Amino acid sequence: MGIASLVLGIIAIVIDVFTAGTIGWIGAILGLVGTILGAIGHKNQAKCATGGLVCSIIGLVLGLALYIACVACVASAGLL
Amino acid sequence: MSIYLNILGFHIPSYGLMITLGVILANVFALYPLKKYKLIFDDFLILEAYTLLGAFIGAKLLYLIISYREIDWSRFLEPRYFNYIMSSGFVFYGGLIGGLLCFLFAGKFHHIDSRPYITHLIFLIPWIHGFGRIGCFLAGCCYGIPYDGPFAVQFPEDSLAPSDTTLFPVQLVEAICLLILAIVLAVLDLKKSYSHTIAIYFIVYGILRFLLEYVRYDAVRGHLLALSTSQWISLGFVIGTICYLIRAAHRKKKDAVS
Repeated sequence: MGIASLVLGIIAIVIDVFTAGTIGWIGAILGLVGTILGAIGHKNQAKCATGGLVCSIIGLVLGLALYIACVACVASAGLL
Repeated sequence: MSIYLNILGFHIPSYGLMITLGVILANVFALYPLKKYKLIFDDFLILEAYTLLGAFIGAKLLYLIISYREIDWSRFLEPRYFNYIMSSGFVFYGGLIGGLLCFLFAGKFHHIDSRPYITHLIFLIPWIHGFGRIGCFLAGCCYGIPYDGPFAVQFPEDSLAPSDTTLFPVQLVEAICLLILAIVLAVLDLKKSYSHTIAIYFIVYGILRFLLEYVRYDAVRGHLLALSTSQWISLGFVIGTICYLIRAAHRKKKDAVS
């Protein structure tokens, strides 16, 4: 669990930082899944769980902050 | 007011920044009730992560449902178009319903007693939502009706809101009401140990959202008969919660008699 969380967290951070805003929502979702696995691992004292949790939370925060833009919360003007 | 804020050379979406700030502050504030009621932090993280995942999925699904006519479905599987759809357009009530369902699922799946978490931490939802509405104001989405009274706002040209007229600051009004609601719920739970904080949230927000929908003017809003989608959902939440409270009161009376 801990290692899976660490892997997901690192992938989330890489996606957030290196895709320049294009697929950050994937980073946020991976960060969330990594957080779940990290918390479960942390509860069960799994290896790397704390590191995985930290990386996943960073990946989630970066994903949320940098890439989720509210384009008219009901409709997307540029799309239509 | 701008869709993007320039911070240290980075173009950061203002809406995403506000949501993130709201979530970070919410997690800091959560530490006090977690400690007071001896709740487990790891369980809180698990429930919170599922709730956020459910909120993302729910908010996106409801957006897709109510704007299905405006989306070019023939292009839906094109990577760029799909990515654009995924990165924008959310509806709060979809997020609330999706988040709650995933929260309950997480409790059952991971054998966590989720009731104390939602009872003592419900104030975090209007808190984060309030920050989201500030983000909406900065981005210019979810804008209000044309208005030239006190506190009317005029958005800049690069905003999502029309810039040729002054508008009612509905995003800020909702943000202020939500932040006040969050503080009231927190005080009721932490200082007064009031047990019906969830009911208060659903009823108060339901009424607030129902009324504010009349001063919303953003382009496409789902409508059924005379009411918008959000107004119907608000009615459902308010009526459903009142029915639940009446049933709970009857059950309590029955148990007291027997």
